[in-house]
Amino acid sequence: MGTEKREAHHYTTYAYNAEIKEKRPYPPCRAACPVNTDVQGYVGLIAQGRYEDAFELIHAVNPIASTCSLICHHPCEQECRRNDVDEPLAIRHLKRFALEQATEYRRKKRKPIPQTKEESIAIIGSGPAGLTAANDLAELGYKVTVFERHPTLGGMLSSAIPPYRLSREALQEDIDDVLAKGIEARTNCQIGKDLTLNDLTEEYDAVLIAVGLSLSRSLPIPGVDAPDVLLAIPFLNDVAYGKQPKVGEKVLVIGGGNVAIDVARSARRLGCEHVEMVCLESAEEMPAWSWEVEEAAEEAIEVHHRWGPQAIRVNDGKVEGLEVVKVKSVFDEDGRFSPVFYDDQTSFIPADTIIITIGQMSDLSFLEGTPVEVDERGRLIWDRDTQMSSADGIFTTGEVITGPGSAIAAAANGHRAAKAIDLYLRGEDIKLGLVAEEKETILAFPEELVQKLSKQSREKIVHLAPKIRTSNFDLFEVGYEEQAALMEARRCRTCGGGAIVNAAQCAACLTCLRICPYDAPLVTSKAQMIPEICQVCGLCAAECPGLAINMVSYDAGEFREHMSDIIGDVDPERDAPILVAFRCNHNAGVNGDQLPDNVRPVHMHCVSRLDVLDLLKAFECGADGAYVMICDEENGKYKNVPSRVKKRIEYVRQLISNIGLESERLSYFEAGTHPDEVWRQAARKMTEKVKALGKD
Amino acid sequence: MIVADQKPINEILGMLERYDKVLFVGCQTCVAVCMAGGEKETGVLASLVRLARQKAGQPIEIDEAAIQRQCEEEFIEPLEADGYQAILSLGCGVGVNKLADHFGIPVLPGLNTGFMGHIEEHGVWAETCAGCGDCVLHRTGGICPVVRCAKSLMNGPCGGYTDDGLCESGTGAPCAWIAIYKRLKELGLLESMTETSPPKDWSKDRFSGPRTRVREDVRL
Ligand SMILES: Cc1cc2nc3c(=O)[nH]c(=O)nc-3n(C[C@H](O)[C@H](O)[C@H](O)COP(=O)(O)OP(=O)(O)OC[C@H]3O[C@@H](n4cnc5c(N)ncnc54)[C@H](O)[C@@H]3O)c2cc1C
Ligand code: SF4
Ligand code: SF4
Ligand code: SF4
Repeated sequence: MGTEKREAHHYTTYAYNAEIKEKRPYPPCRAACPVNTDVQGYVGLIAQGRYEDAFELIHAVNPIASTCSLICHHPCEQECRRNDVDEPLAIRHLKRFALEQATEYRRKKRKPIPQTKEESIAIIGSGPAGLTAANDLAELGYKVTVFERHPTLGGMLSSAIPPYRLSREALQEDIDDVLAKGIEARTNCQIGKDLTLNDLTEEYDAVLIAVGLSLSRSLPIPGVDAPDVLLAIPFLNDVAYGKQPKVGEKVLVIGGGNVAIDVARSARRLGCEHVEMVCLESAEEMPAWSWEVEEAAEEAIEVHHRWGPQAIRVNDGKVEGLEVVKVKSVFDEDGRFSPVFYDDQTSFIPADTIIITIGQMSDLSFLEGTPVEVDERGRLIWDRDTQMSSADGIFTTGEVITGPGSAIAAAANGHRAAKAIDLYLRGEDIKLGLVAEEKETILAFPEELVQKLSKQSREKIVHLAPKIRTSNFDLFEVGYEEQAALMEARRCRTCGGGAIVNAAQCAACLTCLRICPYDAPLVTSKAQMIPEICQVCGLCAAECPGLAINMVSYDAGEFREHMSDIIGDVDPERDAPILVAFRCNHNAGVNGDQLPDNVRPVHMHCVSRLDVLDLLKAFECGADGAYVMICDEENGKYKNVPSRVKKRIEYVRQLISNIGLESERLSYFEAGTHPDEVWRQAARKMTEKVKALGKD
Repeated sequence: MIVADQKPINEILGMLERYDKVLFVGCQTCVAVCMAGGEKETGVLASLVRLARQKAGQPIEIDEAAIQRQCEEEFIEPLEADGYQAILSLGCGVGVNKLADHFGIPVLPGLNTGFMGHIEEHGVWAETCAGCGDCVLHRTGGICPVVRCAKSLMNGPCGGYTDDGLCESGTGAPCAWIAIYKRLKELGLLESMTETSPPKDWSKDRFSGPRTRVREDVRL
């Protein structure tokens, strides 16, 4: 009897989930994601060790997934319901883990999509918006060409976001997936210079303008023209392309946003030890994400808050510093940006290099003399209902029209633009086709419920020590180890993935109402589960006498349906008894799969869902024995599980002994504090015990 | 609700001995609620029977179905029983009768139908009404002496209860008439115990032959 890694059985199919999930209110994480990633779905798959499946789920809606796994501002985490229990789930970091695990798989999967449509589309700009649209249109069978003025694809991702946050290897995985679909990419090709918009409209059936915000704004103050006064985007471009821009010994960054932080931290990595920032806002008002500010502080970057730039002091062509004036307020009563200063309170911040990072704007000079109109403030005119510019067949997407935001929001807009173009080319009503259904989001945990939920702290995300990380541009954040990822994935409360009742099957017996540890069911003439309360433990589904309850996140009947596949062919000459071993995903993930090959492991969300039928089925389908690994009440994710499951096991023991099968053929093991040890021994003990009883 | 219990498995196996293709039919009303014959229990029993027959080297083919109420023709109608040698019903006796009337093949009872009762606690059911046809609960504080008194006394208690208030018959049940006494006292109606109940009309009870009820105005 050898020990080998045996494929465990997981039957929950996407088809089952996706369809039901679409009809249900979204969990807040999914609702907050601009592309509505099924977070709980992929986190659940990670918890089971199914990394390739997790990749599929993520990638289905997000062509820049690896990028997002490193730099997304993760609105999902901000909205995660675990915030009310302890800390949010580390969703972004889990995504990174899954994608890294699936790298080989994903590379093997790449293949061109056959061009099934006549029409061709030109996309100007290869940032998240353009890339996503290219991806979708190629997927639909169109011929797609992307024009990019930079030598690399990816927009700001490759040309501005510094590599210590976004490794170019990760980004390249995303780009390679898109390119593999058969997209033509023309880099170093600037529309307006190397080709004109006209050239494109003549050759292509539709054009998509996805040029982003590629120009840095400057300041109208004296001294800005001095040679050591730089602008953020050209500076970051140089950093991104490894040109090692020269900075002095004391760099001052003007601005308080995320880009300013990237500039400051890049300056540190270029060897400058004294990097400071100055911004109008207080620490609380500063637009940069709090975690970015903290990371910068760790790298000894000091921020001067509430100072406004007045003049750059230049002596003999050399920058000496910035004259600043104290800010009284940044926003007016309506919250609009409208800074007011104390004119009599001034100061001076010495510096030999100043980098202005106060925002970006788009470069639309290539539109001059074309039918695409721009408003009096130089902004592209477009129709929100159709994504079309003022010229027929010329569409637009991304930050050039939405203003600054996130990569994933730009990608979401890219999806929409691709859809618009497809509708246009098929001659359908674009506006109608783009109408998005308003999705409901499940509500926060009620306060009484929070008390009942077990706490588990978030797995720490490790950063390289500041001293080490500031010496180069290598990724500063370290990915999860498998154990940590599995522990973290288990923290997800699977919000909205819980029980649903098929009213036609419900006998209003009240079992669910009585058994639920969280008071989720409401039974009037039929049962109904309150989605924001249900914790997806599965206790009710396993005990409903009408088989009326199923789960949004899994199919409660899957094991009984598939038990014969799980067991496989039974060799009448077998020496070792065939055993079915049930355990939860968590234990499966953290304990690995080393089992003797007579054991058929079955993994599930929680063993609370195992019902009498599942256990009996194992015997009916030819198992000689079966066992369940049960977490104890204290360490388990859900309440009341061990006592319920033990009772069911006891009942099945009685049933089988009534027909002459030894009740010892069914057993359970308590995971305790050393589940891996217990699991290994369980296989051995059960094998011995059942072997002694003989074949069933 | 009607409370029933599954027959012992060996009895069921005995009834099924001569068959190898059978339809098991559950009922999604009373017997589902008392966890004896709903869709779930039908599945459990079918699985157990298949397992037992496999073990005995006489495999049996069982299909499972569950209908809303086996006591209604319209719910039975869509059931197909072609090709089966017999049906095992997990409905109450009413269901078995109805299925047997409807199908021209043997219909076997999977349950022993017990009583009309309520749930005392999850998993515990108790008899509370005998369906005697001549209700007396208005005189007994809502406690049925017909089922809950072993002697079905109408003017109790008999005086034979034990020191801890249990019925002398040895069922272990509390004396119904002590319960009636306490309830009437709580309700301030104790003096009604001094009135002797007239003889009860037992002709309406099931021992006087099968009962039917007709409501002319609703007949079709
Ligand atoms: C420094 C920095 C850090 C950021 N950090 C984050 C972050 O951590 N997380 C996050 O979610 N978002 C971040 N963002 C924002 C994110 O990069 C943008 O939201 C996203 O790139 C916008 O996508 P887009 O496709 O609209 O435009 P872009 O990414 O700007 O892409 C537009 C592309 O069009 C090309 N182009 C422009 N004009 C022409 C022309 N005439 N011909 C050919 N090509 C042209 C440009 O070269 C560019 O490659 C950051 C942005 C910057 C600048
Ligand atoms: S606990 Fe899981 S499902 Fe719930 S909001 Fe957080 S990530 Fe989403
Ligand atoms: S346990 Fe099932 S049958 Fe009973 S009330 Fe709940 S959903 Fe309905
Ligand atoms: S018992 Fe569990 S799965 Fe069922 S409703 Fe309650 S929390 Fe949800």
